[in-house]
Parts: sequence; structure tokens; C-alpha cells
Amino acid sequence: MTQPSSPADSGQLSVELTDIWKTFPGVVANAGVGLAVRRRSIHALLGENGAGKSTLMNILAGVYHPDSGEVKIHGLSHQFRNPADALSAGVGMVHQEFRLIPSFSVAENIVLGSAPSIINNRQVENDVADMARKYGLKVDPAQPLWQLSMGERQKVEILKVLWRDAQVLILDEPTTVLTPSEVDELGEILRRMADDGRSIIFISHKLHEVSGICDEATVLRQGETVAGSLDMATTAQDELARLMVGAAPAIAARPAAATPGKPLLELQNLSAIGDRGVNAFSDVSFRIHAGEIVGIAGVAGNGQRELADVIAGLRLSNNGTLIMDGTDITAVSAHRRFQSGLAYIPEDRLGVGLAPRLSITDNAILRVYRQQRRGPFIVAEKALSYCADLVKRFGVRSGDPDGPIAALSGGNLQRLLVGRELDGKPSVVVASQPTRGLDVQGVKAIQDLLLDQRNSGAAVMMISEDLDELLTLTDRLLVMEGGVIRGEFDPRTVSRHEVGMAMLSDTQPSSQS
Amino acid sequence: MKRPRLSLREQPLPGGQPLAFGTGLAIALFVGTLLLLGAGHDPLRIYSRMFDASLGDPDAWAITLNRAVPLGLAGLAVAIAGSMGLWNIGAEGQIMAGAIGAAWVARIGGDWPGLVLITMMLVAAIGGGGILALGPAVARAKLGVNEIITTLMLNEVAIRLVQWLIHGPWKDPDSFNFPLAPMLPDQARLPTLFSRAHFGLLIAAAVIIIASVAVRYTAWGYELRIAGSSESTARYSGISLPKKVLTVLVLSGAVAGLAGGVELAGTADRLTETISNGFGFAGIIVAALALMRPSGVAAVALLFGAVQIGGQSIQTLGVSSSVSTILQAFVLFGAIGAGVFSRYRVTLDSGPASTPEEAKS
Amino acid sequence: MNEASLIGLLFATVSFGALLYLAALGELLAEKAGVLNLGVEGMMAIGAVTAFIAGVEFQNPWLALIIAMLSGALLASVHGFFTVGLGAEQVVSGLSLTILGLGLAAYLGKGYVGLPPGAELVPVEWGRLSDLPWVGPILFNQAPIVYLALLSGIAVSLILSSTRLGLALRAAGESASSTDSAGHSVLGLRLAAVAAGGALAGASGAYLTLSITPQWAEGVTAGRGWIAVALVIFGAWRPSRVGWGALLFGGTLALKPRLQTFGVDFSPIILSMLPYILTLLILLIISVQARKRPSPAPAALGLAYRREER
Repeated sequence: MTQPSSPADSGQLSVELTDIWKTFPGVVANAGVGLAVRRRSIHALLGENGAGKSTLMNILAGVYHPDSGEVKIHGLSHQFRNPADALSAGVGMVHQEFRLIPSFSVAENIVLGSAPSIINNRQVENDVADMARKYGLKVDPAQPLWQLSMGERQKVEILKVLWRDAQVLILDEPTTVLTPSEVDELGEILRRMADDGRSIIFISHKLHEVSGICDEATVLRQGETVAGSLDMATTAQDELARLMVGAAPAIAARPAAATPGKPLLELQNLSAIGDRGVNAFSDVSFRIHAGEIVGIAGVAGNGQRELADVIAGLRLSNNGTLIMDGTDITAVSAHRRFQSGLAYIPEDRLGVGLAPRLSITDNAILRVYRQQRRGPFIVAEKALSYCADLVKRFGVRSGDPDGPIAALSGGNLQRLLVGRELDGKPSVVVASQPTRGLDVQGVKAIQDLLLDQRNSGAAVMMISEDLDELLTLTDRLLVMEGGVIRGEFDPRTVSRHEVGMAMLSDTQPSSQS
Repeated sequence: MKRPRLSLREQPLPGGQPLAFGTGLAIALFVGTLLLLGAGHDPLRIYSRMFDASLGDPDAWAITLNRAVPLGLAGLAVAIAGSMGLWNIGAEGQIMAGAIGAAWVARIGGDWPGLVLITMMLVAAIGGGGILALGPAVARAKLGVNEIITTLMLNEVAIRLVQWLIHGPWKDPDSFNFPLAPMLPDQARLPTLFSRAHFGLLIAAAVIIIASVAVRYTAWGYELRIAGSSESTARYSGISLPKKVLTVLVLSGAVAGLAGGVELAGTADRLTETISNGFGFAGIIVAALALMRPSGVAAVALLFGAVQIGGQSIQTLGVSSSVSTILQAFVLFGAIGAGVFSRYRVTLDSGPASTPEEAKS
Repeated sequence: MNEASLIGLLFATVSFGALLYLAALGELLAEKAGVLNLGVEGMMAIGAVTAFIAGVEFQNPWLALIIAMLSGALLASVHGFFTVGLGAEQVVSGLSLTILGLGLAAYLGKGYVGLPPGAELVPVEWGRLSDLPWVGPILFNQAPIVYLALLSGIAVSLILSSTRLGLALRAAGESASSTDSAGHSVLGLRLAAVAAGGALAGASGAYLTLSITPQWAEGVTAGRGWIAVALVIFGAWRPSRVGWGALLFGGTLALKPRLQTFGVDFSPIILSMLPYILTLLILLIISVQARKRPSPAPAALGLAYRREER
């Protein structure tokens, strides 16, 4: 025990996490994190992506084992082996990806895992309805889940945790699937649960929502607690934003200023529907000129991935126009777009950009095999030498070129993928999270490749969650939030704080209650 | 509590698949020994007889090769679909559809010269198998209907079609009212190569080689393998998936149909309801043991053919044919199990899983 | 067509229906838990032969039935071990199971071919009910296993719809990871469902050799296992609909040998294609409807589950 707390204190605390460490291969996710949550309160856990929030909460919910540190619930020390252990100690988590079964009814989803031996469906549905009513959750227990909206599904997940009588509820980024009015509703529901004697931990990076809902906040940055249990009523949003994003780091050697040429990619009022059936982004307009890198900043899930897919031709737009080098390509196939000089580095490397079960050579030639034919055959020597060339030029460390691609490390996979995409001298490059999950040299190598493209006159669009990367690398910075471009900044002059506020806070008037 | 758990090896064990087959064979021999001892036989004598009858001399080789022909073609049919991640469970029915096509040509072209007749029979066989696969192919490509069930159901339809033909329209008027189709004309028989080994061996070998080369070395096969590995990657690189699904399933059916035509013209005297004799189902297993690689099908089919022929031969020693069926099943399960272990290792594990992938925020 | 032959037809429809229903219920259980078992034919054969052997050896039909069910469950567990335990391909393992079951049945039954049955399940007397016109001879003069089939159908239906076990089992067939995170053992549920399915297929086989054709011969199952697989789809994975489907398909089996005596000029072979063609049609309808609502097929059917993977 590192911090002995007074008995009166611990009686008030529902959750005490002390000096939690958790390491994954190559990543220290939690480096001595602490967290204290009072009973009957809504506690915000703030931090940027990668700050260690989800890891910490997965430890609290029994999904992960901490390497070291203490987990105390209501003053009692626990070592959870699995989520069921945590639940029986009263800790339940609503994950970002719902664990619901579409063909089951709402009630069936709620009672799965804690149902009585004999289920009287009507009885169970009544009980669920009673519980839902108590907390103001509007759901029909008999309705099949697949008919529900994402916001309604979230209510089912919350009810699932309440059904097991969890005293501590963890909600991981609960507002990402909600409309502004649903967010307000969620706030009321959570307040009712807190008044009922429960504690709620609310993981978020949207400051304006948190300030309306939560009582206290703990801020994590790079796996450490930078501020614990701040009183939301007396802490300014600016202060929270500063804590989350940190002081501006010393800017790494900035590349020389760009000399933009003619516009190569132009989006005019582009909109598209996402997987959830609602607009992933709408009315997006911007231009990217030859010889510049434009960064798209924003928290994941705000339409960036879909935007990249639409530009690459892998997702249909439902409105607007896409112009590449003066030609309307809105209705042109992905393959044609590539042929006319559009390279795409997708976010999902192994699964979209690369074929996981095939060899390194097979993956290397994905874009050029049509040119390596003699009759119906792909000329093996051409394929091999092409692959060897890519491997050499882009520094891919690989063994057997006939070995499976999946055996390569993340950095080498990405070098091969990026190398392959850039090899055809594209005029437009769309890169989605190109450096995510890579080690330091890998990040540097990929960034340099993108800069080279810019310098040789290509228009580069770079989506990243790493604000520092965008600030050092790009020539212009667009911030995307809620499927809309929220602002354009000059990365040379803008403060990290300013961009952070645009990324995190929703300036839409409708969401201000 | 520590529990055994399977985890993926980074690289499959070298030589995993031959090893798997060998392990299956060893397990089968062991179980077979027990079964034979249980039935009061001398296992050594039985096994040497099995070997002699299947691989002991040229005559034995001929019979084994004749068996390997339909097994290899059926296995190839399944493996072509499998290269794209599709399951053609309907090879059994497609073989019969192919045999029907070939038998129909033999009926109408009884007076054609041999070469023309046989060629047309094989073309009709290819067409028959392809047509039977067309329905599942369209349903899968256009509506996304699972091809496992549709092809499986059509097996049962095809075998009844054969039964109906030989009980009705195609019944031999000289068969004294027995439900038999007429004998094939002599010029409809495939020529023999040596002993009883027929020309179908060369056809099968050629088709397997062509298909292996096509899947491994052509742009068409490359696209097939990309689509089989990841549909998203295929779409990303501009490959049309529905078109691929359609052509691959129909082609798979056509190859199985060819097996039916070759079997009819090679070893059968006439169209019978046992013309396929389980080759279609065995083909699935052959393909699975060859890891859905067309190039591996020939070797597996030969070994599997030897096991079948050897198993049949010991019936003359008073051993029930069921022993050979059981041995086949044990080869299969042994190989399936060994195949899993060549790709996974057993670890003792406790506590919750933690993977770096999930450590994103 | 006279009254007696019509009653005979309907009687046979019910008994074949029960035969198919038992096997299909077993397959339904396994598929509901997410495991496709194409070894039904083999499990039925094992049930048929062990029931017959046990009947000859112990002269007790009920003991024979229990032994058949245990044998079916044991054989099904081979499939369970390979597909659920090791994550092997369900299609390949299931087909191999058919081969193994047919081979084992032939091996075990070799000394019993042509023997008179040692035990038979005689029709149940329902007193006055059995004397009712039409209804009596058709419904109340059947072998006890027919009523067991009906009871099994009701039991499976109730277990799936309104017990904790049934809910967990269906969840395992829809989403293994959700079931796992709800604290249920996916492995245990699936193994149990596959074994229980094998027991029902074994009972179906036992019905053949203890009552319908009380003797043992190779090939006695005559492809009915495949009809059972088709039935599950035809009935859209619902025990009640599978039951009505079993009667319909049972009717085609019953009608097949009687067409000629009824003077109907229709090929009995074409008639026997009907179940498969109907199933194909139902599949098409389901997939067209699936654009508007989820398919009734268990979402995780055919997928192995290993916790580490995603």
C-alpha cells in the first residue's frame, strides 16, 4: 500500500486504484496510475487517445491483469481474474463496442449471463421495464435488438450492467454514438443512478459534455495521472484542455515550407453514410494543392476513416463532388482512381491494404500485377525483382519473399504497404493513420516518405490522431469533429491548445443545452 | 487454475501437412491394428495385403491410379473453390451431373467415331457439372446465399435424377426390367495406358497441373487468392467479387463434372446410381488435407486412393469392408487433429487475455 | 384409394415424421449453439446399430434406446472435440464423422445382419383414444418413441425459449465473444449441445431398428440424415416449424412406396427430391428477406471460437 487513507475517507470512496502499472509488448499503457472515485458521483476520466484510459478501466473491470498496483472497491482489495469477478464485486463496464446480440430481444440481451434458471419471459420483461423506468431509460424490453438505434443499444448495455446490480459503472466513450439530445438524456440518466448511490466513471475526451455531466475529473496523459479528482465546478475547461494535451513540446525540426501549386484534390460539399446508417460526415469541402500536406486532426470516429474511404473510392458518397486534377471522379471506381494517380494507405493495413494469408511478394505486386503479365501469367521474375526492389528501397526487413506477410512486424508491414502505394508516383496520396502503432524509427521512416511525396509535388492528405505529428509535419491543418470540418489552422502559428479545443469541444450551438 | 489453450503459431510447423497426413495414417494403423486383433485377424498379414493390392505391382498401381483420378479431380474441384474461401460441398452431385451429361452424349452419339464421341462426352460432363453448380453460384454471388447448404442439397437432387433416369427414361429395354442404364458403346470407353490404368489419368493430371499453374502463376489465380485471403483487400485493389465467385464456383462444378465423365468412360460400364461412390465427399477431405492448394491435391488423392483400394482388397481375406471405411475416417480425423496442431500450439494459460491490440487508449 | 390405405399413409407420415424430427432436433440444438454437424447420417447409423445389438443382447427395448442415445452422443463428441475443442473446420469434420459412423456401424453390426430383433418398441395403447376413428389408428397407435419425439420437441422448444441454459446456448450460436463476456463457457455450451444433438440422432436411428424396420442391415439410414440437415433450414431453426416440416417431409417418405398402389402416375423418385428442392426455395426466401431483417440462421454458425482472436 502506498497511500494509506483515513477510514473516513475510504468510507466515501467506491473505487481506489493505486500505482497501477500495465505494460504491453512495446507499450507502457499505465505507469503508476492512481484514481479515486467518490460514491454517488459521476467521475470523468479524461485524456487523449493512448493516454491509458481504456487500459486502466479494463483493469478495473477485470478484462486485464495489472502488472502491479492495487484495486480497491468500497475499501476492500480485489484481484479480478475475469470480468465476472469484477461484476460480483460490483464493477460493470459498458464497452465502446457493444456486446449485444442483434437477434435477441432487449430483455434477453440484458439478462444473458445472470438469468434465473427458468425464465418467465413476461416476468423478466416486466422487471426490465421496471428497472428502465426507475432510471428513465426508455426501451421496450420485448423489441428485437436489431431494430434499435445506437443510442438505444447503449441504454441496453447500461441496463445490462444495472441488472447485475453494479455499484460502479464504467462507460467507455459513451457519447460517440449519441446525438446531442441523447447526450443530454444520458446525463440525466447517469445523475439518477448516482443519486441512487452508485458511482459512474465516464471516459471521454469531449470536455464540454463532461463539464455538464460530471462532478469530478481525473486526467491521464501518456499513462500517468496528471491531475486527480479535480472539482468540475471550479475547474475551467481551458485548464482541463491544457492538462490533457500538455504543454507544447519542443517542435522537432520542421520541414521547409511548402510551395503549393495547383489544386490536385478538391472536395465539394461531400457527404456519406457510415456503417451505422447515419451520416458519417456531411458537407465537407476543401482543396489540397500540389506540394502540400494537409492534416486532418480529430478524435477517432468523427468521420475521418469514412472520408478517406470515400476519396479512395471504397465507399459511396451520397452527395457532393470529388475532383481530382480537374476531373470529376465522384463516380469512378477505386481501381481507376488508383490508375489515375491516387494512392491510398488505409487505416486497416492487414485486411484492407494487404492480404494476410498471402506471401510478401504477392502483397508487394497488388498494384502492379496487371502490368507484370505475359499472356495470362504473372511473370515470376518481374514480381520477385519488383518485391526485392520495394523491400530494399523502403527498408523493409523481411526474410523469405515467399513467406507469409503476416509474419512481418507492424513497422515492416507499413513500410511495404506505403512503399507499394507511393511507388507509382501518385499525384494524390491519402494516408489514414499511417504511423499508428509503429516504433520510433518506423514513424520517422513513414513521415519522411510522405514528406518526400510532398516535396516532389504530390498533394498529400494525412489523417492522424497524433496532434504533435500533424503540427510538425503538415502545411495546413483541418479539424474534423462530428463529421464536419470545424476549422482550419496554420500549424506554424497555431497553439496546440487552440487545436485541442477545436477537436474536443463541440462548437455546434444545438448541442449546448 | 491453469487451462490448456490453443494459440496460433507465428509460422506453421515446417512440413506440417505431410506430417499431419503421416500422423493420421499412423493413428489409423494403430486403431486398425486394434480392430483387426479384435476381429481375430493377423494385422501384419492384412497390412501387407493392403500394400500389395494397392501399390505392390503395376496392376495394383493401375487400380489405385484409377481410383486416384476421380478423387483428385473432385479434390481439385473443391480446392479451386477453397482457394477463394468458398465451400463446394456439391462435388458428389456435380460428378453425377457430369456422368449424366456424358451418358446422354453416349446415347445420342452411339455411332460417332470414338475420339469425337469421347471428346463430346467429356465436354458434356464438364457442362453438366457446371450447370449444377450454376444455381448455388448465382445465389451466392447475387444474394449472398451460403453455398455450403445449396450445394449439399443439390447432391441429393442429383442422385435422385440419376435414379429416375435409370428407372425410367434411360432404362435398358434389354435389362429384363431391371433398373439399369444400357451399356456404353465400346468406342465410348477411354483407352487404357497400362494394365487397367485408363487414359483418365492423363486427363486428370493435365487438369490438375493446369489448375495448379493457373491458381499459382496467373493473374486470374492471383486475384482468386487475394479474394480468398481478404474480401476487403480484393475490393481495394479493384477485383470484382461477384464475378469471381460466379466463375470460380461454376468452374469448380465443371471440374467435378469432368470427374463424373471420366469415371463413366474410364471405369464404369454404364450409368449407375453409385457412379460417384462418395468421391465428391472424399474430394472435400482430399482438398482439406491439401490445404485447399490445387498443387497438393494429386499426392493426397494418390495416397487416399491407395488406402481405399487396399481397404477393399482385404475383404477377400474375410475382413469386413467397414474396417477400411473406419481406417479412412481415422486417417481423416488424425490428419485434421495433426493439422490443427501444426498451426497452433498448446499453452497452459490462466487469467484474462491481454493483447496489445486492445491497448489503444 | 380406400380408407385403410389412407390411414396407412397417414400413420407412416407420422412415424417417418417423428424419425426425421428427432434427428433434426439434434441438429437444431448443435446449430443453435453455433456448430454445424454434417455427421447426422453417421450418428443415426450408430444409433440404429447399437440399439439393435443391445436389443438382441439384453432383450430390453428401453435399455437399447438409452444405449443408442449414449452412442450417438459419444460419436457426436468426436465432432465436438475436433471442431469446438481444436477449432477444426466443421464441414470437414462433420463429413468425416459420417464416414466414421457408417463404417463403425457396419463393423459393429456385421454379426447381426438378418438376425431377428431381440427387442421391439411396441405401439402404445391409449385405451379408448386408440379406438377413435381415423385419429386412433393414426395418432394413438404409434411406437412410444413417436411420443418421445413430440415431447423432445416441446422440451427443446421450452429449453431454448425460457431457460437460462437455452438463452446461453442460443447466445453461443449468435456471438461467442458476447457469451464469453457474459460469463458463460462457450466451449462447454457447444460441446453439450453437440453431444445432446448426437443423442437425439442416436434415438432417431434406434427408432429405425427397434420399430420401423426391426432388423439390421447396412445402409438402413438411407440418407435420412441429410433430410434432417435440410429440415433445420426448412424450419428456419425453430423447433415448432421444424416439426411441421418433419411431417411434410415424412409425408413424402411415406408416400413414396405408395404412389403406385394409389394409382398416381408420378415418379416416386421425383417425389423424394421434393424436400431438398423445398429447402432450397426456403433458403432463397430467407436470403431475400435477410435484406430487411436478420437471417434466422445462428450468426456464429460454423465459426470456431478462440478467445485470443480479436
